Amino acid sequence: MNRAATISIAFAAAGAVIAPFMLKPFGIFLISMWAVLTIAAIGLNLTLGYAGQVSMAQGAFVGIGAYTLALLTQAGVPYPIAFAASGILCFIIGWGLGYPALRVQHHYLAFVTLAFTTIVFLLLRNEEWLTGGIYGVNAIARPVFFGWSTGKAMDYYFFCLGVLTVIAFAVWWMLRSPWGRAFVALRENPVRALSLGLDTRRYTLMAFAIGSSLGGFAGALFASLVQFIEPASFALNRSFDLLLMVIVGGSGYFMGPFVGALVAVLLPEWMRVTEGYYLIIYAALIMVMMPLAPYGIVGLIERGYKALTVKRKPPAPMLTPERTAP
Amino acid sequence: MSAVLEVSNLRKSFGGITAVDGVSFEVRDGEILGIIGPNGSGKSTLFNCVLGQLQPTDGEVKVDGKVTNGMRPRDINRLGVSRTFQLLQVFPQLSVRDNLILAGQEHQGTMFTRLIGRSDAGLGPAADQMIEFFRLSHIATEMAGMLSYGQQKLLDAAMAFMAGPRLVLLDEPAGGVNLTMLANLRERLQAYHAERKATFVVIEH
Repeated sequence: MNRAATISIAFAAAGAVIAPFMLKPFGIFLISMWAVLTIAAIGLNLTLGYAGQVSMAQGAFVGIGAYTLALLTQAGVPYPIAFAASGILCFIIGWGLGYPALRVQHHYLAFVTLAFTTIVFLLLRNEEWLTGGIYGVNAIARPVFFGWSTGKAMDYYFFCLGVLTVIAFAVWWMLRSPWGRAFVALRENPVRALSLGLDTRRYTLMAFAIGSSLGGFAGALFASLVQFIEPASFALNRSFDLLLMVIVGGSGYFMGPFVGALVAVLLPEWMRVTEGYYLIIYAALIMVMMPLAPYGIVGLIERGYKALTVKRKPPAPMLTPERTAP
Repeated sequence: MSAVLEVSNLRKSFGGITAVDGVSFEVRDGEILGIIGPNGSGKSTLFNCVLGQLQPTDGEVKVDGKVTNGMRPRDINRLGVSRTFQLLQVFPQLSVRDNLILAGQEHQGTMFTRLIGRSDAGLGPAADQMIEFFRLSHIATEMAGMLSYGQQKLLDAAMAFMAGPRLVLLDEPAGGVNLTMLANLRERLQAYHAERKATFVVIEH
């Protein structure tokens, strides 16, 4: 990480800590939602951005995590155990969902995961005995740790921010380890990766499972944030929203989900002044942005920074060969 | 000298087309074997069968006396067999150094220790040596996708040696490389062979 990136991250972190003291309750709710959805987007960025496995199921994993926490806490299970269970259950299901990725790729895999999201939505809606069906689950508890209650908006925001910090550090560690290199290899050239001894099968499953478990943790935080969940919150549009966050922020960039979630959560709210037109303007902005910045906002910033700072290097001491047909 | 690679009566068919038909040869320790043939004669298919990327229709492949038919490419790689590809197969979004570390990292420890251990899997010095050996020092931190074709070809070859293989299969290493770069590549491969007594099988036209 270069100096400019370190300073930018330090400023952003300071901003995240200071922000709730300057916001009204709805503003604190929005930045809490940003923290929660950033975790889910980090998971999708791992699966899609780094490992190159197209997943349209992240919204479903947020739902599984949310319902797991809600149902377990209401059954009397302590919050930390219910929270851990949300991530672990999604890890196991995500591992299973990874198996189709061993056989199909790209849009075929997207359809497999899309079908999974639909199945989860139908189960949440139809299995009323367990999930409450369309009536959902309400009065979901917020945790209390050693006498510190997170019942108030600001306390819960700092809890979410703490979880986000821990998860972001863990993912950063993983991505700078040989695993991160292996995930990129999976995305860029699985055939070559296999010939270099990479267990592409296990890394693919891991990418799915870890990404899904982060969706589960985000779901658990989401449930306690809104304190009422119902199936429609975890239908296909949730997966599309998370995909948008990853793409707009910068797929395959560590900071991409942070920026993408910020845009996806805050921009629609800021544009509400345009009343009925805000969704049209929002969609048009996204359409304009994608061709102009296909690498997302972070990619655009990185390329702009490089263009400004990198000096022209002298020619390499080797001759450049012509590419000819073999 | 014992045979590192033994191929016996290997045959590979794709439907009605037989790409490799009853090929037999053996390569002894420290030997350089050349396989020459025109385009479409099945040379790369032969390599793919040896490396487990394709399953032979018939025949047998042995590495150090062990039958490798049915084994996965990664398991054959673990036996000390490495390869380059006819078409470039580097990882464009990784730096030259990271490409080399990646090429050797799966031979270091277990998956878990690679997660909690050093980010370079302890291969940083080895990668730097390989960078120096293949004269890639001036581009070590560049993204592989930004390199010229010849530089990528050198990197591709260097990656095949990162895990210290017993046997390296080089698939048309001279393909698309100009004479100056080719001389450089050949000289480096000969130097590697002289230093490490590596065993090579080379495909060319």
